[in-house]
Amino acid sequence: MTMASEVHLKIDGIAVTVPTGTLLVEAAKQAQKHIPVYCYHEKLGPAGLCRVCLVEVEGMPKLQIGCNTVATEGMVVHTQNAKVDDGRRAILEFLLLNHPLDCPICDKGGECDLQDYVMAYGQDSSRVIDGKESKPKAVDLGPTIVLDEERCIVCQRCVRFDELITHERSLVVKDRGAHDIIATATDQPYVSQFSGNVTELCPVGALTSKTYRFLSRKWDNHRAVGSCAQCSVGCGINVDVRQGAITRTMSIPEDVTSDGWLCDRGRYVISFGDDQRRLRTPLYRHREQLVQVTWDDAIGLWAQALQASASPQRVAALGGGRLMNAEILQLQALFRSFGTPHLDWRVGRSQQAGAGRATASLAELDRAQAIIVVGVPPSQSAPVLDLAIRKAVFRHKAQLISVGPFGAGSSVPQQRAARIDEVAGLLPDGTERIVFVWDGIDPQLGREIANLRTQWSTHGRSAGVLVATTLSNAWGAEALGMHPSFGPGYQPLASSGLDTAGIFAAGRAGELDVLSFHGANPVLTWHDASIVREALARIPFVVATDLFLTQTSELATLVLPVASAFERNGTMTNLFGQARPIEAGLPVPDGALSDSEVLVALAQALKIALPDAASLTSLEERALEAARIAPLDCGAEQLAGRRLAPDRPGLQLALAANVFAGGGTTAHDTRIEALRPLPTATLEPATAQRLGFVAGTLVDLHAGAASVKNLTLRLDASLAPDTIALVADLPQAPANLLFGSEPLRLEATRVLEEVAA
Amino acid sequence: MSAIKPVLTKGIGELNLRDLEVYRSEGGYVQFERALKELTPAAVLDMTTRSGLRGRGGAGFPTGKKWSFLPNDGRPRYMVCNCDEAEPGTFKDHMLLEETPHQVLEGILLGAYGIGSHHAFIYIRGEFRRGYEIFRAALDQARAAGYVGSNLFGTGYDLELTIHRGAGAYICGEETALLNSLEGKRGEPRLKPPFPALQGLYQMPTVVNNVETLASLPHILRNGPEWFAQVGPERSPGYKIVSISGHVKRPGNYEVALGTSMRTLIDECAGGMRDGRKFMAVQPGGASSACLFEEHLDLSYDFDTIAKAGSMIGSGAMVVFDDTTDFVKAAHAVVRFFAHESCGQCTPCREGGNWISRTLTRILDGRGVPSDIEVLKSAGHQMTGLNLCALGDSVEPFLASVLHRFEDQFRAYVTAPQAAVA
Repeated sequence: MTMASEVHLKIDGIAVTVPTGTLLVEAAKQAQKHIPVYCYHEKLGPAGLCRVCLVEVEGMPKLQIGCNTVATEGMVVHTQNAKVDDGRRAILEFLLLNHPLDCPICDKGGECDLQDYVMAYGQDSSRVIDGKESKPKAVDLGPTIVLDEERCIVCQRCVRFDELITHERSLVVKDRGAHDIIATATDQPYVSQFSGNVTELCPVGALTSKTYRFLSRKWDNHRAVGSCAQCSVGCGINVDVRQGAITRTMSIPEDVTSDGWLCDRGRYVISFGDDQRRLRTPLYRHREQLVQVTWDDAIGLWAQALQASASPQRVAALGGGRLMNAEILQLQALFRSFGTPHLDWRVGRSQQAGAGRATASLAELDRAQAIIVVGVPPSQSAPVLDLAIRKAVFRHKAQLISVGPFGAGSSVPQQRAARIDEVAGLLPDGTERIVFVWDGIDPQLGREIANLRTQWSTHGRSAGVLVATTLSNAWGAEALGMHPSFGPGYQPLASSGLDTAGIFAAGRAGELDVLSFHGANPVLTWHDASIVREALARIPFVVATDLFLTQTSELATLVLPVASAFERNGTMTNLFGQARPIEAGLPVPDGALSDSEVLVALAQALKIALPDAASLTSLEERALEAARIAPLDCGAEQLAGRRLAPDRPGLQLALAANVFAGGGTTAHDTRIEALRPLPTATLEPATAQRLGFVAGTLVDLHAGAASVKNLTLRLDASLAPDTIALVADLPQAPANLLFGSEPLRLEATRVLEEVAA
Repeated sequence: MSAIKPVLTKGIGELNLRDLEVYRSEGGYVQFERALKELTPAAVLDMTTRSGLRGRGGAGFPTGKKWSFLPNDGRPRYMVCNCDEAEPGTFKDHMLLEETPHQVLEGILLGAYGIGSHHAFIYIRGEFRRGYEIFRAALDQARAAGYVGSNLFGTGYDLELTIHRGAGAYICGEETALLNSLEGKRGEPRLKPPFPALQGLYQMPTVVNNVETLASLPHILRNGPEWFAQVGPERSPGYKIVSISGHVKRPGNYEVALGTSMRTLIDECAGGMRDGRKFMAVQPGGASSACLFEEHLDLSYDFDTIAKAGSMIGSGAMVVFDDTTDFVKAAHAVVRFFAHESCGQCTPCREGGNWISRTLTRILDGRGVPSDIEVLKSAGHQMTGLNLCALGDSVEPFLASVLHRFEDQFRAYVTAPQAAVA
């Protein structure tokens, strides 16, 4: 007997047809009937704890919970009648017995399910005369979250999120009965890259974000719908603004890219926009000092420098990976019209190859039988992608293999491979659907991935590739033409310009007159800081558009203050190659311009015609469409001859990523102080023992004359032996100072010695 | 003829049944050996079903039927013996574990074989330290004698047994909370469905049976299912150990045929009420059962009759109250117990029990108000039938039954508080 694929039932007299296995809470939505829930959540499933979703099913003597009752053929369900109303009223009365009812000072007020359901289904008076049970208030749960145990209704959504979605299992219920509290299993702080999601899951005001506490009310927030610009994933976000400042960002539950979750970087890095260090006027270097100039003068100086250059071949532009799609198109059009072939978006060590050619969709990742993470784990570069991997591994039993010195995230069972050629041997027969998640750093690895794909395609194996980086619009920058070899949509060019490495080499050789950075900070992010500094020192006119004086823009001739991703409308391309609209939550601040306005002004000064809005839109659409079918680019043709990992005797340097590293928005957001990584060096325990170092020691790492100091030594058994890992892109400890083939020397930091009495 | 029929309790107090040889001399392990050598698991299941044995842990579910729910899908199956006896008023499993550990063990082994399990577990209440030690010694003896382990009696059948000690939570007697606890998780009941028969211990098909249920199996095999089925009422047959406590002359465990009247149990087995005292009420099935009264005493003590009278025999624990009882205090003791033992995961049980308990505390403190009576009635009622497991539904029965019968005692506290307290 085969099961029918659909069942028919009646809900409050309305006939509905739902797929077999549908829960009544979901079936009721079809009948447009509301069943209140607290513990149930679409993405967490039923828990049967809160009991507020009571319904009457004819033929069953007791009220049933809608969240765990499956619709069956011919079922007759009542979501509202005297019996159901009475049951719900009872549950809500119980929930309020010990609830503090401090709605006037509760951040959740106005968007609280307890408030709403009590108003809709509850009673308006209390029968309690014994006072309320007191529980801990304002519990500091970790760096991001505060917990009010009295408001908590123990629905355990947070605990189940931590178990079923992140698989980190640090949140638990402690004690029992009316003394139940939410806590961490080890009484250690609740630290997770996804901690902020619990504040959205919490149906009441128990879990709140430190960044949002007492800041605003739902009805005082103005909401803009955007796309997160903190990494390459491009999660949809709601941006809440009050009185000209962002109060919070929230996930969009139905957003496909993010599956409705946000990482803490995306959620909490929101306050940099009104940081005091934000640039509010163009700066021009005059007698070694950056002095304020007007926008007219600034654009005039830039245009003058470009026109004064002997040849467009002596001009180059870098960056674009943080710009909107239309701005990228304007950027490349402007410089190509000017005659400059030297354009490249790849300004960080992790942005060197192929980011713009995703060949896997989110659905393919979800259905993959094997996921192979090559290089930096996406948990530290594109966290929400890591959640999608965890889902594929835990829910759909995908096999996870990590290649390289790092494991692919600690909460996921995985196999390790040192090299890509070991991967094939780890895949069982019958593995047909594979997705690579590559950090895009080492072109050699990219070539090996490309070779495997070709080899496998003849054996009926399909392998997609996702290139995950921290750069928000890497995909767009490449697909829309900020590339030395391709125009928009991977249109091959008659002749290639210089890539980033070539541009820096030309700069060092005195072959460039003007170099502009468009939202780029290569002094911190390029794999070798000294090359960039030497190039900048020799190029007469360096322009940087940025929000802040960064390690790069502080060295520029002309610094132009621009708008952040929260301050302009447009589209960005997400990790899966789709254009995502962004609605400005805030106006461009006084004194700054959007990159688009800057480019238009420069074009006018140069008398170059840029494409109009309509043609930009159609160009964007065509280019992204073409990009989707472009073959994987490993950067081989451009990056040949440049070795990322030089031959170095002894200890090898590995660069770990941290989502809160970087010299831009994260470094200029004072409200995420506690989340920024401390400078650390990590060794595998046996290597540390051999070298004679113990965890916690303060160490300096030297390579030739360069050194990075005051690193706290950590041990991590998942790291490869004879490797020392530093967090990349950390302003106070820039690991890119140590690039080269000089042997690494690890020494204990010399602290001031006590002066003998 | 005495109402007391020692079957499971035979020899207790006379023989050292903890000793393997003594147990064997009484016919011990013969049925297990016979089952393995001569009977298929299906035959053991069939005999269990035909005996009409119903679960002795409280719910009274037919044992054979419970076993028959296991799917034949090739997955490993587990037999779990529930020895987390903690219902106030019940102390029979405690005795069986300490006095006849081999009988319990043989029952578990037979049950495991009957469902085709190769790994059985016994979950022993944490406080039963002595029982645990005795049972462990019995297990060691049985293992040495070849009753537990691999290739038993050369039949090729492997059967392992793991002892697990609880950590002191009443809720772990609920079968799915027990399974969670056994897996090392927090002891809270699971959402059902899925039921343990499909996804039990470690997500595998699992049967959880009470100690007394399993200990009955060797006797059913020895004497035949008909012997068991013909005793007592047709739908509630067999022998049952009844733990009688409270205001009787001789509290204790008494094994009788189901269907014996409560009056016989109290008067004949337990020696009647204390001298000069009058019977007022009885809880026929432990703390979670509603009280029955004088007019019910001649009812047959069996699952269905007592259920029909509005209570239950549960695990067979009669708590008898005489005319010295302050039923407000008694209700407070019962409610406070359940409020304290609530795991807290579902709303009505977590909040309702605590509310009623605090209200009764205040009433007993002399600070009651007349409206409290209404709260006691309605709060108890509105927390019933809405819970994830049976614990939350256990608060109301006793409270409601004594409140209905002895409302004057409650009223006295709230109308003239100080007088009642004095």
